[in-house]
Amino acid sequence: MSTGNGSFWGNFFLQNRLVSGAIIILIYIAIMSVMAFLLSGYIKKLYLGESNLLDPVSGRIVAFFEKLFGENKDKTMKFREYFLNLLLFNAAAGVMTFLVLYFQNFLPFSAGYSHFTPSLTFNTVTSFLTNTNLQHYSNPLQLTYFSQTFVITGLMFVGAGTGFAASMAFIRGILNDKGFLGNFYHDFLVSIFYLLLPLSLGLTVILLVFGVPETTSSAMVLHVLGGHGTVTIPLGPVATLEGIKNIGTNGGGFYGANAGFPFENPNWFTNLSEFVGYTLIPLASIFSLGRVFNNKGFSNMLYGVVMTVFIFTTFMTFFGEYTGIPALSTLGTLYTGNMLGKETAIGIAQSSIFSTGAVFTSTGAGNSILLAFTPVGILGVMGNLLLNDPIGGVGVGIMNLFMFVIFTTFITSLMVGKLPELMSLKLSSREIKYSTLSLVTHPLLVLIPFGVTMLLPGLIAGFPGTRPDAITSVLYEFGTAAANNGSEIGGFLTNQAYFNYIDGIIMLLGRFLLIGFQLVIADSFSLKSPKVEFGRSINPNSFLYGLMLFTVMILLGVLSFFPILALGPFLSWAHDFSLWIGVVIH
Amino acid sequence: MNSITNAAIQTVKNFSPKYLMRNPVMFITECAFVLSIVIAVEPSWFGAPSGSGFTLFYVAVVANLFLTLLFSNVSVAISESKSKAISDSLRQLKKEVKAKLLVDGQVNEVTSSELRKGDLILIEQGDVIPTDGEIVEGTGYVNESNVTGESRPSRKIFGDSVTGSTVLVTDSLKVQVTSDPGESFLDKMIAIVESSKRSRTPNEIALTVFLSGITLIFLIVVSALFGATYYSGISPNLMILIVLLIALIPTTIGGLLPAIGVASINKISQYNVIAKSGKAIENAGDIDTIILDKTGTVTMGEREAAKFYPNKGVDYIEFVKQCVMSSMDDLTKEGMSVVKLGKKEGVEVSREEMKNYEFVPFSAETKSSGIKSSSDEIFKGALRAMEKRFDLSDIYIEGLCKEISLRGGTALVVVRNNEFTGVIELNDMLKPGMRQRLERLKKMNIKTIMCTGDDETTAAFIAQESGIDEFVANSTPMDKYNVVVREKEQQRMVAMVGDGTNDAPALSRADVGLAMNNGTQAAKDAANMVDLDNDPTKLIDVIFLGKQVLITRGSLTAFSIANDLSKYFVIVPAMFTMLPQLGFLNILDLQNSIVAITAALIFNTLIILMLVPMALRGVRYKPSSIGDLLRRNISIYGIGGIILPFILIKVIYSIMIASGAVW
Repeated sequence: MSTGNGSFWGNFFLQNRLVSGAIIILIYIAIMSVMAFLLSGYIKKLYLGESNLLDPVSGRIVAFFEKLFGENKDKTMKFREYFLNLLLFNAAAGVMTFLVLYFQNFLPFSAGYSHFTPSLTFNTVTSFLTNTNLQHYSNPLQLTYFSQTFVITGLMFVGAGTGFAASMAFIRGILNDKGFLGNFYHDFLVSIFYLLLPLSLGLTVILLVFGVPETTSSAMVLHVLGGHGTVTIPLGPVATLEGIKNIGTNGGGFYGANAGFPFENPNWFTNLSEFVGYTLIPLASIFSLGRVFNNKGFSNMLYGVVMTVFIFTTFMTFFGEYTGIPALSTLGTLYTGNMLGKETAIGIAQSSIFSTGAVFTSTGAGNSILLAFTPVGILGVMGNLLLNDPIGGVGVGIMNLFMFVIFTTFITSLMVGKLPELMSLKLSSREIKYSTLSLVTHPLLVLIPFGVTMLLPGLIAGFPGTRPDAITSVLYEFGTAAANNGSEIGGFLTNQAYFNYIDGIIMLLGRFLLIGFQLVIADSFSLKSPKVEFGRSINPNSFLYGLMLFTVMILLGVLSFFPILALGPFLSWAHDFSLWIGVVIH
Repeated sequence: MNSITNAAIQTVKNFSPKYLMRNPVMFITECAFVLSIVIAVEPSWFGAPSGSGFTLFYVAVVANLFLTLLFSNVSVAISESKSKAISDSLRQLKKEVKAKLLVDGQVNEVTSSELRKGDLILIEQGDVIPTDGEIVEGTGYVNESNVTGESRPSRKIFGDSVTGSTVLVTDSLKVQVTSDPGESFLDKMIAIVESSKRSRTPNEIALTVFLSGITLIFLIVVSALFGATYYSGISPNLMILIVLLIALIPTTIGGLLPAIGVASINKISQYNVIAKSGKAIENAGDIDTIILDKTGTVTMGEREAAKFYPNKGVDYIEFVKQCVMSSMDDLTKEGMSVVKLGKKEGVEVSREEMKNYEFVPFSAETKSSGIKSSSDEIFKGALRAMEKRFDLSDIYIEGLCKEISLRGGTALVVVRNNEFTGVIELNDMLKPGMRQRLERLKKMNIKTIMCTGDDETTAAFIAQESGIDEFVANSTPMDKYNVVVREKEQQRMVAMVGDGTNDAPALSRADVGLAMNNGTQAAKDAANMVDLDNDPTKLIDVIFLGKQVLITRGSLTAFSIANDLSKYFVIVPAMFTMLPQLGFLNILDLQNSIVAITAALIFNTLIILMLVPMALRGVRYKPSSIGDLLRRNISIYGIGGIILPFILIKVIYSIMIASGAVW
């Protein structure tokens, strides 16, 4: 059954783009799940400190550094010491990179570059230190290659490594009952050399094969046909940065347009690879929980819940973008959905899942411009953001998820007349207190600066007139900082001292306050020994429990923003479906 | 009447902000209430519109906020006045009485408040016992009706404890005082009942933290809304923002939480159990393992002779006669039942025949009792003890004993002049209804362990018969402690009953230790609950109650949070009527926005009133598996909590519109 120009199925998928888009999304989800599942066994070995295939290489490097710094895994720390070392190490990295960035014009490879303003430096350093990677600068135009490599790429490792180390401590807290969380430096080195470096090398190789540049040569200058001046395309160490950017759920990117720029994301395969790259560790960590606690049902339940959130929001975004702008559709032209701000080689389906995926994790990478998304499309993306990125960043994702789990366990246990208990450990008021603090921190960090900023319209003067989109964008701006995500809608000048400092503070609090709270919980857990026998309390593997967890996440996480969403995306959705078509200002 | 006045006074007192600070949800409500009064009086200060329609609306808001606080306070006050009534009646018992202090055998008249721990006092027939003590000499009947409500006097012997304010009705006792003034059992009970309103349990604190967190989020959401509306160029009515805040914060559970805790202490008092803390009741709800004594708890504890089995070659009538003779002076229940059964078999022994015999009572060393004369001796006791004492063994007798054990009976072996003459079968009955109760425990996933001094076979039979999971045979009080420790090491929550001094370590180690009121002082001190009726099976009721308290809290929390969904869809479109595009959120199609907002607030207030009885009484609890329970409560309080407000708000709105409210 073939027609004149091509096969039947070829035409079918071309003409039924809703179906083909949905199939593409499902393929992405299937591949990401399979890849994560395959990695989970390895991550479990890292969590439990078991020997694995990288021991001969990574083991030696870790041992070398441990010798150098006089630390090793036997120097195990309790909560206070562990968290203090984590903070000190990050502070040191922060100060060092601050100096490099601020004085970048005096350092190598700096021809033609000037230094950053203090506020922008602060913002950039906190942004990359906290695994947020919000960019208030336009990358290759303002950053030297040295800064790109040392500050950006370096901090990408520090941020992700710290996150994974924290999760190792968290899991150790649950598993042991002597009060020890492990050695931070050991955990950090293991995260880097066993996990982040090998995986990002792998991704870098894939990207190199498909033509992503990796060079120290200067920009490419093209003369435009017709002779009206030149176009400068910066080159640089793009592939290495891309590797860790995705694997470490960092986001940001070498180019201002991120993965929307062909040199960062040349084709559908690199798009898929990068997507799998940034969902890999967070999702694999969830699967690995089942192996670590020898309770596959638990990780399956978590996977089911977060995937429900993900599938729902992705399709929301996809349908929003696919439906496009009614005003344009009625013009009667051949209309293909909302292609504004999207790369034609990638298309609507792959842009939608890439954007929601980047917020489902704390990556925040983008291959399309969120500012040009439809309100429904943005709602899908923003739903994830308000949940503090459901599966979060490397390591911290499972800790955030655990906060919701503790909440849910508390309520459901009471509902069946039991005192709450998780992983056979009794939940006392200390754990409830700190999980409440963790879950309250995120909305507070978003809403307080949001409320204040909206009273100062001069700061967001980029929007012509009063528009609901501005509310969406500002809410998103602080949401992305608090969730350590890094994606942005923009639409107003973000590189202002006000936003640079406030975002920086939010990012720091959103990162280290939460890790602190969560490690306190780990500390509590680490002093308790588990009850022998499972299943006498609430069963977290059941469908009902999953349903409750989902409901708690939606009701308390997303819907608490309802009154504000009404004035933002809901209003622009209902209003005229119009988009703000403008220039991205940097 | 008195308690109503008390409740009324307490209700007013509870409005004090200092009191409400402890409960952030209600504290925010009170702040909102005060602010709403100011707005209602002077709307222009806040840029809120005025006019007759709005005035009505403002009055409605003020009234609703007041009622929200009032309903919450009334629910607490009702519970508290109940506990006050209990403590008042206890206090009335505590009157100063004359005591007869013994100093070097001389009686000195002093008042009860002068007695100190360790003093020796004399109590004679008709005296009110001045304070708590332990009997060191004498036996007598004590009427404890004013403490326990049990009108039948109970027999007290050497070593038993007596409670202050009870009355000795027969004989006289020498009692050693066991508590200093102000520390007696009665004093402690009063303190416990009175403090129930002040001290919060760990679980209550955790829930309060949780609710405060949610409240804080909504407080910030509503505050941030100021900025968003300012930017959008719309000025929302401040009163509506207040309504939004109050509707979203969990006022239902927040308002009723204190009452639930106090009600649980009252309810347990109705069972005639005094819980030393609310925490003990919560622990009871979470019990994983319960340790029961066989005798007196699982079984009636009154073993009766059921049948005689003579040894080979021994005449039946002759054997029965031996049994009866050995039991003539044995005043234990077993002994008396042997004489009774002998009579039934036609065997009676006259006093004359017993003339030469001397009764040898049961002792811990010989583990047997019997009679002795210069030429003859008959003893009865457990097989193992008798074999050891007389160095005997007999396959036939052993077989008989085994057979009896397998039936759950107890075998009593009779030895005459170093020869087995036969076996008496004693039967112990399961308490009526025990099987069903244990079945319910099993449904709740609670493990039962039975401790008994009986041998393995008997224990196994009773365990199987009654549905006990595990048993410890030939157990000593130390074994009980070991079982508690073993279960605690596995992080399980353990409950147990005890009455003896040697139960004290186990009682204090257990999460729930229920002491019997007629037990020793040490046991009562170690336990965290005391049962005034001396009914060990009450432990099961206490577990039920504990579960009910937790379920009530959890269900109302889920209900309260689930309610929010409907309020978003009612209040948000109604507060932004200036943005008609948001009409699509108005899924209930409530045309008049002010009436819609009022209807949502009225629902919010009414639901508290409707749930007050449930908070005081506890939600219905049927023992079932955790999965079933979760399914049931999620459908009622979770899904019900989402759907019900949609319906009720629409109904309230329609009634208001129909009655001509057009604001």
